Amino acid sequence: MNYLRLIRVFFRINVAGELAYRINFFINLFQSILGLGTALAGFAIIFSFTNSLGGWKPDEILALVGVYVLIGGIIRFAIQPGMEQLIQSVRDGTFDFTLTKPEDAQLLTSIGRIGIWEIINIGLGFVLLIIALVRLGGRIGGLQAIEFLAMLLAGSVIIYSFFLILTTLAFWLVRVENILTIFQSMYEAGRWPISLYPGWLRYGLTFVIPVAFATTIPVEALTGRLNWETLLIALILAVGLFAASRAFWKLGLRHYSGTSA
Amino acid sequence: MKYLFRLYIQQFKTTFAMMFQYRASLVIWMIGQVLEPLVYLIVWSTVSNGNGGSVGNYTTTAFASYFIVLMLVNQFTYTWVMYDYEYRIREGMLSFALLRPVHPIHSDVADNIMSKAITLPILTVIAIGLGFAFHASLAVTPWMVVLFIPGLLLAFALRFLLEWTLAQAAFWTTRVNAINQIYFFLLLFLSGQIAPLSLLPHPIQIAAKILPFYWTIGFPTELLLGRLTFVGTLEGIGIQIAWLLVSLALVRVVWRAGVKVYSAVGQ
Amino acid sequence: MSSEDKTKPYNPSSRQGNSPVTNLVIHIQGLSKTYTVNEQEEGAKATMRGIFHRKKLEVPALSDISFDLAPGEIVGFLGPNGAGKTTTLKMLSGLLHPTSGDATVLGYTPWKREKAYLQQITLVMGQRAQLVWDIPAINSFELNRVIYRIPLDDYQRILKELTELLELGPLLTKPVRNLSLGERMKCEIAAALLHRPKVVFLDEPTIGLDVTMQRRIRAFIAEYNQRFGATVLMTSHYMADVAALCKRVVVIHHGRLLFNGELALLLQKFTSHKTIVIQLGECQADLKIYGEVLSCEDGRYTLRVPKADTARITERLLADLPVVDLLVEDPPIEEVIDRVFTEWNQ
Repeated sequence: MNYLRLIRVFFRINVAGELAYRINFFINLFQSILGLGTALAGFAIIFSFTNSLGGWKPDEILALVGVYVLIGGIIRFAIQPGMEQLIQSVRDGTFDFTLTKPEDAQLLTSIGRIGIWEIINIGLGFVLLIIALVRLGGRIGGLQAIEFLAMLLAGSVIIYSFFLILTTLAFWLVRVENILTIFQSMYEAGRWPISLYPGWLRYGLTFVIPVAFATTIPVEALTGRLNWETLLIALILAVGLFAASRAFWKLGLRHYSGTSA
Repeated sequence: MKYLFRLYIQQFKTTFAMMFQYRASLVIWMIGQVLEPLVYLIVWSTVSNGNGGSVGNYTTTAFASYFIVLMLVNQFTYTWVMYDYEYRIREGMLSFALLRPVHPIHSDVADNIMSKAITLPILTVIAIGLGFAFHASLAVTPWMVVLFIPGLLLAFALRFLLEWTLAQAAFWTTRVNAINQIYFFLLLFLSGQIAPLSLLPHPIQIAAKILPFYWTIGFPTELLLGRLTFVGTLEGIGIQIAWLLVSLALVRVVWRAGVKVYSAVGQ
Repeated sequence: MSSEDKTKPYNPSSRQGNSPVTNLVIHIQGLSKTYTVNEQEEGAKATMRGIFHRKKLEVPALSDISFDLAPGEIVGFLGPNGAGKTTTLKMLSGLLHPTSGDATVLGYTPWKREKAYLQQITLVMGQRAQLVWDIPAINSFELNRVIYRIPLDDYQRILKELTELLELGPLLTKPVRNLSLGERMKCEIAAALLHRPKVVFLDEPTIGLDVTMQRRIRAFIAEYNQRFGATVLMTSHYMADVAALCKRVVVIHHGRLLFNGELALLLQKFTSHKTIVIQLGECQADLKIYGEVLSCEDGRYTLRVPKADTARITERLLADLPVVDLLVEDPPIEEVIDRVFTEWNQ
């Protein structure tokens, strides 16, 4: 399908530019390790004083940090760059070039840019997750693994749809240049299990800004804390939000084409 | 002198006009500013509750007070020049700053002060709200309040100068993200933002008291919370002044070197 | 004219025993600028090596430039992209320091960046904005007023004059973001002149503007120079700018000065052809024998003939053909300048 070919082309374009300077790799590796080190140092300090955080064992929290880094990497690899570029192009008028191309604008926007170096974070997060799982004694059943992957996928779709909604708002709110940082700020809270937070914050981090679906809920699947209701809600939300965000996107496009000079 | 006074007033007006245009972005940014200390507040409270009500010499409510005061002190001393600077150089705005018969640090100071004049009151209200929600308490004596004022102002001046110097790194490299990240890594740990300093391993505590980071945020916070002795506070202010002098010299040296590099290469 | 004449730079300033320096606003002597660039090599080994030892390339931007400006002159600074024009302007405004050579502007050394010096100059860069983007231009004006210590009544007077000359009225209260390019340029220029600088450096001030706006800004510069006696050094791609404003031009190419003198003299030296435009009934005739036919439209032929043969060919045309109208013109300045560069390259 043309979609796959497009994805491959954009990938190559994005990657070629960055790989021309191999020093970029070392600098990004350094930054990723520093980022991970920050998270782990905080973890170390907390757990020097306790053995359980709100019912979560240290290695379970470690798994959470792993998923946090992994999903964060996926977001900054595939989702965020394209959205940021879209917002920028709406501000400076180059979005018109995207609109005149014969491919679906949403697709072009979504895959138009990638943060190639986030692969390092994805790798680091994955490694940390594996280490944590090994330390937990490897009592992960097949069902739990499937639930985990399903929740990971659902979480990614929910995050993507959420970003798309925020980005579509840029058609109306041209001056809110940092709208995506709402998610970034709140995502910080995803490093810890959301069960720690008071009710109102928990609600906000689940249904207003879906951080919980990215971090805590997939890990709950791994640690056997996931119940049927949450699983179902996540799946329904993923499908529903994806459809809703696409509809909203189309609305935004109509608004843009209607009012653009 | 009168010239600088008038300059600052004018820059205040400019900043205010700009902030008004970007009020939505401001709200989003403030949410982030509140959330980070709030998260640590909750995490440490959880640890404390699970540990019998306290960790080290901090009770659960003491943690609440600590992080709420920290949030305000952090906000008071915060700067963002180092994120901007590389962009300024790239877009040629620095050239225009160099054409002017006044040192460019002044517009940054004025801009910083004006932004906080608007955001601090809002955050104070939020802090009071959080204080009620988490049962925080504050017991101050007169000398604490009196010494808090210079302690806080010195912390702001010190942090501003340090971070403004950090921003100049953009003259020598485009990899400012990496450099900023190193700085913030150190700041996060050594200034008491992740945990009160007394809960960190002893060698780190010593390092923190020698380096300037603690003196920009942790020190004024602990001062207001009554965790320092009178003598200790005076000593602390002395160290702040010492670091301030060092950073003043640093700013001059680095700025001059930066201009030399810039004027040798252009852009 | 021998070919030797054309390849040697025409530069009265570089001769010894010139007019006394004290009479000049800008005096440049032997200015040179060489950039050292790090060579970027490919391959893993080269990258690792590159971390410790960078191979350096020397890129000369300016070589031994000398020229002067007298008070109140408007001088055009011509050259293709990358010739060194912007580099020179940046040096004169203190943003760059040279590798060697001297320059004195208003008695100061520009790259010392003394406050008293910066107070008296201004630099307008056509592609860059000094106005704050999100707020009305008038706010940026106010900021400049304070920075440059302009007394309030002086400020109000000059603001009024600039608003009149540039037709700024309704533009000042709109956020700069919402202005068109031409409107923004007018505000930029006004902002740069509020402190009544004695020396004005203009770097491509009309770039990207439509013809009407270009003409208006040109008219403004001429008017401003007349009224306030400011010395103006202007770079431009557009010959129309230079032809309209500058009696004298300095031509620079590959960092070297090619010509410094009156524009008329430049045209005279480097023009070897003239253009004859004749009006016939239609475009049917073959005029190849008279000269190079550049175009024909509705019977209006444009011919290119060697300068020396102009009179002779004109005579023949009038004798041989039913000429309705005939006009002899100099070639467009662009062509002349092109010729200067091409010949220099050979």
